[in-house]
Amino acid sequence: MSNTASLRPQPVASEHIPLKARNVDFDWADTPLHWIPGDPSTTHTINVLHLLLPAGERWFVHVYKQVLPHIRDARLREDVIGFIGQEAMHSKAHDDVLPHLKEQGLDPTPYTAQVDWFFEKLLGDRTLPPGRARKWWLLERVATIAAIEHYTAFLGDWVLNAEVLDAKGADPTMLDLLRWHGAEEVEHRSVAFDLFMHLDGGYRRRARTWAVAFTALVFLWQRGVRFFMTHDPSLVDGKASFREFFRAGRQGVLPTTGAMARSIPQYLSRTYHPSQHGSTEQAVAYLAGSPAATAAEARTAGGA
Amino acid sequence: MPRMRTFLVVAGAALLARRALRSRVAASPLWPMPALENPTSGRGRKGSQARQLTVTERTEEAEGVVRLRLEGTELPSWEPGAHIDLVLPSGTVRQYSLCGEPATPGSYTIATRLIEDGRGGSREVHEQLHEGTVVEVRGPRNRFPLGDSHAYVFIAGGIGITPILPMLRQAEREGVPWRLLYGGRSRASMPFLAEIEKLAGAGTDRVTVVAEDEDGRPDLAAVLAGAPPYAAVYCCGPEPLMDAVAALLPDGPDAPTLHTERFAPAAPAPAGGSAPFEVELRRTGRTVSVPSDTSVLRAIRDQALPDLPYSCEQGFCGTCQQRVLAGEVDHRDDLLTDAERDDSLLICVSRARGDRLVLDL
Repeated sequence: MSNTASLRPQPVASEHIPLKARNVDFDWADTPLHWIPGDPSTTHTINVLHLLLPAGERWFVHVYKQVLPHIRDARLREDVIGFIGQEAMHSKAHDDVLPHLKEQGLDPTPYTAQVDWFFEKLLGDRTLPPGRARKWWLLERVATIAAIEHYTAFLGDWVLNAEVLDAKGADPTMLDLLRWHGAEEVEHRSVAFDLFMHLDGGYRRRARTWAVAFTALVFLWQRGVRFFMTHDPSLVDGKASFREFFRAGRQGVLPTTGAMARSIPQYLSRTYHPSQHGSTEQAVAYLAGSPAATAAEARTAGGA
Repeated sequence: MPRMRTFLVVAGAALLARRALRSRVAASPLWPMPALENPTSGRGRKGSQARQLTVTERTEEAEGVVRLRLEGTELPSWEPGAHIDLVLPSGTVRQYSLCGEPATPGSYTIATRLIEDGRGGSREVHEQLHEGTVVEVRGPRNRFPLGDSHAYVFIAGGIGITPILPMLRQAEREGVPWRLLYGGRSRASMPFLAEIEKLAGAGTDRVTVVAEDEDGRPDLAAVLAGAPPYAAVYCCGPEPLMDAVAALLPDGPDAPTLHTERFAPAAPAPAGGSAPFEVELRRTGRTVSVPSDTSVLRAIRDQALPDLPYSCEQGFCGTCQQRVLAGEVDHRDDLLTDAERDDSLLICVSRARGDRLVLDL
């Protein structure tokens, strides 16, 4: 056995599960603007998801549709097809929250129009000669998606375990959206990485696209929180601050700064595989009891 | 010491950059990213679904024809030729062309003729919808849009005038020459006659009204032969009228183009039924046959394009959406908006209404 074998990603086979999209539907009529009572700062930090995910996950689907013909592994192909449907539903579910925010006096459009530009233009299809250039751009985007999925799986695992949110009286519909989404992210956490390894797998590309994705996420996220805090009609002189962020981490209503820092070397480790972190079993257990997921199940069974 | 100097220069530059950024960000918090001109996110798909509108005006427009004004808030705008789906109190759904003024926000106008031996939809409109009744409306959708042309010839039969009327007004407003042949059983039974004659102006021959009890049958051949070269012909009315127009349309390189709208779908598919049909893949240049127990998606994947994207196969995730170039679609998904249904379908569940579809694949 050569010593390079130990430096390859090491998947945990028992974490694999067949994927399917769920036809969920959420009713936002009764969700208050500050759906974590008395904590606008944390509410809006999590609300940034609704700004980034509709365009972001639509972009995943857009890129993966182009990747399908390049996949030479039947099981991975099934996984990617399941992944596409789940991501499409995530995008739509978060998109449906935006009109609700607008009704409550917090119009997200100035921000989401920029995110739309970011994913549809900056990271969209470019006029490139067929062949190497086009392949390069596709691989770059596939690797970027794998890096972002590391963070969505991290957040998914976190929200499934964030019991403090229940204790704080967070809105049940919003929690169900976040946990249904989180659970599906945990379910499919290996797909983007497996796809990247199948098509390319180069460590330099992995590290480079991680740096790009991480920087972009931090940039967009802090901007989103600042945007919400400044424009929230119910806050006088609302401001985003690091102190609030550390405080929320300590309280358990956001991931801790330490956990976020530790997730960096995880992804950059040469033996990293997403199946090493998080629990498919926990995700499946949540989905079995989730109001939205069970309603989707009933709708599918009745309609088909 | 050069090290010290480098440090000072870098630190100074960093401080300056920070100050410059701060003032810009303070002035405009979302600086410096560009935005998409027509944002895709946050439009909400639910907005395009059913609306509850109130009947606020009911008038006898002509013998056997009532005109209804339906009011609501934040109604989508529409273009001439558009129709709405009206969900009647019994649950029956019927399509009615909008015949009001597109520029009027907050209301839609429709007109319906009572058909004694019809399927019951028009009877329900006449007997059940009164001022104050609340009805459910979906749409509007437009399958009969008025394209740009240098000259229009309109041919309307009876209640078929409804989609044509807003077209006349638009042509008149834009100064495009037009002619109208308007046929009906008797002048008393033909809606909007006064408005049309006013629109044409006194002393012009732009409008030919042919009432069967006075003038007999309209001379379609003469009207079509008199159409200017490359004119656009828009025809709406009973089936025999449209067939006659299609048959009489002159041939030739400068022949007019014909656009028609049928009141009812050409061949209504029985609910839930799945007849076999053919799908032409225009760009691939192949034709696939879809058996009754197979989805369009499966048929295309098996017979022509194995890498076609899809996911849920139940009509909700939207991955398999494809563009339709020709053919009537029997939409069976829960996802697409009415606007999207005009030119696309989800191939995992939806099927053809006729025997053929042409897709942009």
